[in-house]
Amino acid sequence: MRKSLVAITIAAAAVPMLIGVAGLPRPGDPSAAVHTHVAARYIAEGAHETGADNLVTGVLLNYRGFDTFGEVMIIFAALAAVMAVLPRGATGLPGAGAASGIPISPIVAFIIRLTAPFIAAFGAFVIFKGHVSPGGGFQGGVILGALLMMLSLVLGRGVDRPLIPARSARWLQAAAPLAFFAVGVLGLGLTGAVLGYPAEPGRELLRELMMIFLEIGIGVGGGAIILGLFLETRGE
Amino acid sequence: MNQVFDLVMLALLIAMALAVARSKDLVAAAMIFSGYGLVMCLLWQHRGAPDVAMTEAAIGAGVTTILVLLAIGRTCRREK
Repeated sequence: MRKSLVAITIAAAAVPMLIGVAGLPRPGDPSAAVHTHVAARYIAEGAHETGADNLVTGVLLNYRGFDTFGEVMIIFAALAAVMAVLPRGATGLPGAGAASGIPISPIVAFIIRLTAPFIAAFGAFVIFKGHVSPGGGFQGGVILGALLMMLSLVLGRGVDRPLIPARSARWLQAAAPLAFFAVGVLGLGLTGAVLGYPAEPGRELLRELMMIFLEIGIGVGGGAIILGLFLETRGE
Repeated sequence: MNQVFDLVMLALLIAMALAVARSKDLVAAAMIFSGYGLVMCLLWQHRGAPDVAMTEAAIGAGVTTILVLLAIGRTCRREK
């Protein structure tokens, strides 16, 4: 019964996807939309239309903002799946003990404390500079997440004293979808389209702020989710 | 010259992927996979995709390795 239910669910998800894939143009097909006008439009009009100096950011947050919304939902779902699958407070199998009470080396602890502020500054730089240079919320968020992982080795001590209190951690982990939701609704109110950005002259600052808000949301949410994955896998 | 760099990197990638698949020691496999991420990052950068290269360096070579090591820590080091 249960197996057939799983099979039906998988089939219901797979069939539309396969139909969609079958409808895609052949790879390298010169008559595909992306080769005829889409890419050319992005390159020619992107800077003007999106207000982002970095074309990748322009595509990610403006032209394909809805795709990016899906991406952050996938990352959020990954954390939810890990939390659902792994038992809470479990310390792993006997004798495995990756995190079970082995004291951290003083050299490692010192290096982590020494480098932490620089890594934090670099992560914030990558998030805020994502507009004009390679980088952005995803990359900066991972840098911040890696920093939080390192710090939780030195500072966080188990369930009693977590690095971020559990309640705030839940909100931070949802920061990226929430930021997209907020900007999406704001865009709906301003332009009549979800994730629409005001394009008329004089509103550039607002558009800029919406995009920076999204970048910060993606960065904070990504970092918190990576820390959450780390702590859940470690069994805390 | 450009082609040579790409070909060397791609050969390295294939060798590392085979090593990961063949290794019975999962910790060794995780470390090789981290190196795979690093080579992939160099390749992205060389192909002119610095955004993807940054993501690959941070996630592929960094965070994934730690998560895999933690998962190994909760299970068993050697493949049976």
